[in-house]
Amino acid sequence: MLFLIAAGLTLVLGIMDFVFLAHGSQVMIGAYAATALTAWTGNFYLGVALAIPLTFVFGLLLETLIIRHLYHRDHMEQVLASFGLILFFNELVRIGFGPAALFSNLPPMLSGAVTIFPDAPYPVFRLVVIGVGLLAAVMIWLLVTRTRLGALVRAGASNRTMAAALGVNIALLQRFVFAIGACLAGIAGMMLGPITTVESGMGEPLLILSLVVIIIGGVGSVQGAFIAAIMVGLVDTTGRVLLPHLLRSVMDQATADGAGPALASMLVYIFMSVVLVVRPRGLFPPKG
Amino acid sequence: MPGVFLTAIRDGVKQHRLLWLLLGLLGLFPIVTSVADLPFWNDVAMRIMILGMAAMGLNLILGFGGLVSFGHAAFIGLGAYAVGISQFHGIDSGWLHTLIALGLTGVLGLVIGFLSLRTSGLYFIMITLAFAQMLYFFFVSLEGYGGDDGMILDRAEFAPFDLYEPLRLYYLIWVSLALVSLMLMMVIQSRFGLVLQATRSNAGRVEAMGLNPLRFRITGFVLSAMIGGLAGVMFANWQEYASPAIMHWSRSGELLIIIVIGGMGTLAGPLLGAIGFLLLEEFLPEIIGHIAPQYAENWMIIFGPMLVLLVLFVRGGLMGLITSRFRGGG
Repeated sequence: MLFLIAAGLTLVLGIMDFVFLAHGSQVMIGAYAATALTAWTGNFYLGVALAIPLTFVFGLLLETLIIRHLYHRDHMEQVLASFGLILFFNELVRIGFGPAALFSNLPPMLSGAVTIFPDAPYPVFRLVVIGVGLLAAVMIWLLVTRTRLGALVRAGASNRTMAAALGVNIALLQRFVFAIGACLAGIAGMMLGPITTVESGMGEPLLILSLVVIIIGGVGSVQGAFIAAIMVGLVDTTGRVLLPHLLRSVMDQATADGAGPALASMLVYIFMSVVLVVRPRGLFPPKG
Repeated sequence: MPGVFLTAIRDGVKQHRLLWLLLGLLGLFPIVTSVADLPFWNDVAMRIMILGMAAMGLNLILGFGGLVSFGHAAFIGLGAYAVGISQFHGIDSGWLHTLIALGLTGVLGLVIGFLSLRTSGLYFIMITLAFAQMLYFFFVSLEGYGGDDGMILDRAEFAPFDLYEPLRLYYLIWVSLALVSLMLMMVIQSRFGLVLQATRSNAGRVEAMGLNPLRFRITGFVLSAMIGGLAGVMFANWQEYASPAIMHWSRSGELLIIIVIGGMGTLAGPLLGAIGFLLLEEFLPEIIGHIAPQYAENWMIIFGPMLVLLVLFVRGGLMGLITSRFRGGG
C-alpha cells in the first residue's frame, strides 16, 4: 500500500526532480473516483476499471495546466504550489461529496476471509492489496529498467538537456511519468478506500509517511522505495505492538497506554533521521 | 559597478522603511480599533504579529540562508510548552518562561540544526519535517501535560506589567516584534549575515575563502529557532492554551506560505505576508458568504488556486509587487 503511493511519488520526485506534495490529493481522488463509479455502475470491478484511466487523465490534465510551468522553479515554490492544490482539492471534494466520510463496499468475493495459518483468518481483500502492490512493483521495475521508454525516462532524469538534444521529447515524457505517478496514487486510493474510509484530506497522513519512505529509500530509486516501504511498515507496526508493552513494565498502565501509540509514531521519524544522519542521501541512492 | 551597489543599498533602505512603516502602523492600530470600537481586530493584529515574528525568524535561514526548513512550527510549539509546563510546576514569571523557551529552543535548534544540516535540498526539507513530527508526537504522548488535548494556562506575570490589563499583551508582542526586527536588520547587515547570504548563493566559494559554511548555517538555524520560541511564548500567552496542534506540520506549511506571499529574503516580507495571509483568512469566508453562503466554510477552495497563481505569476510575493511598482512607476 505504502509502496504504491511511494512508488508513484518517487517517480515524480526523483526522476522529474519535482517536489510534489499534492500526491495525497491524487490518492484521495482515486478513492473517490472508484467509490463514485462503483456506486454509479453498481459493480466494484467496473468502477475500479473506469477509475484507473480517469486518474491517469487527471494526472495528464494537472501536468498540462499547472505542473509543467513549475519544473524550472525552486523547491520552495513547488512545495507551495502543491500545498495550494491540496487545499483546493480537499475543499472541492468536501463540496462535491459532502463533509461526511463515504464507505465503499466490497463485492462478496473479496470481502471474505481465508485461513492461511490455523486460527488466523485473513481478509481476502488485504491479500488483493498485497498482490496489487507486488504487481505494481514488478511492472514499474520492468518499465524502468527493461523497456525503451524506461531508458528514455532515465536518460531524461540524469541529463534532460542532453536527452532533449538527442531528440527525446522531454515534455511529453514528463507528462507521461507524472500521469503514471498520479495513476499509481489513484490505485492506492482505490485499495485504501475499502480498508479505511473515503474522506476529504485522507491522503495527507499517507503523504508524509510516503515521503519518509522515499527519503529513506533514496529519492528517485524505485527499489529503494520498495525496500524502505517494507522497513517503515515493519518499524511502525512492531513499534505499535511492542512499545506499549515495554512501557508498561517501566510505568503505570494508563500512562503507558497513552504514550505508547504516540511514541510508536515517533519511531518512524527517528528511524528516518538516523538513516539520514548516517547516509544523507538515503539507503539506496540512484546511481550517477 | 558602484551604481549597482547604490541601487542595492537604496532598495534595502526602501524595504526597511516599509518594515518600520508596518511596525508603526501596528503600534498605532489599537487607537484605530478603540475609536472604531472593533476590539476583535486587536486580536487579529496580535496573531499577525506573532505569526509574522515566527515567519521573520524562519526567513532568516530560508530567505537569506537558502535553507527550506519544513519544521519550524516545532519551535513555536516548544516555546508555547515552555510556558505551559513551567506554569504547571508553579513558575509564573513570564520573564523566566521566555528565558526557558529561548534556552530550550536554542539547544534543540543546535541539535536539530547540527543533524539536519548534514543533508541538503529536498533531504533537508524532509529531515526538518521529521524532527518536527517527532516533537509533535512527543507532546501528544505527554499525558501528564494534557497529551493530545493540550493544556489550558493563564497569561504569565511579566512584572511589572499585568497582561490582563487591556492592551498590555498587545504591546508586549509589539515590542518583541520590534526588537526581533531590529536584531534581524542588524544581523543581516553584519559580517555574519553577509556570509550567511553568501552561503546561499555559493557555499563552495565561501568554503574556498576559508570560512566554514556549516558554522554559519547552524548559527542561523539556532537564531531562527529561538525567534520561533519567542513567538511561541507570545502565542501561548495570547491563546492562553498550549497544545500539540500549534506544532502540526500544516502550520510549518503556513509559515512558508506567509513568507512566500510576502517575499522571501526581505526583512518586511514575512510581516507583510502575515498581514496578507490572516486578512485573507478573515475576509475570504465573509466574501464567499455574501455570494454563496452555503460555501463560506470552504474558503480554501479560493485560497488554494490563489496560492498556485501567486507562485506561477508573481515572483517575489507582495514585496516584489511593491518594489516593482516603485521602480516601474518612477
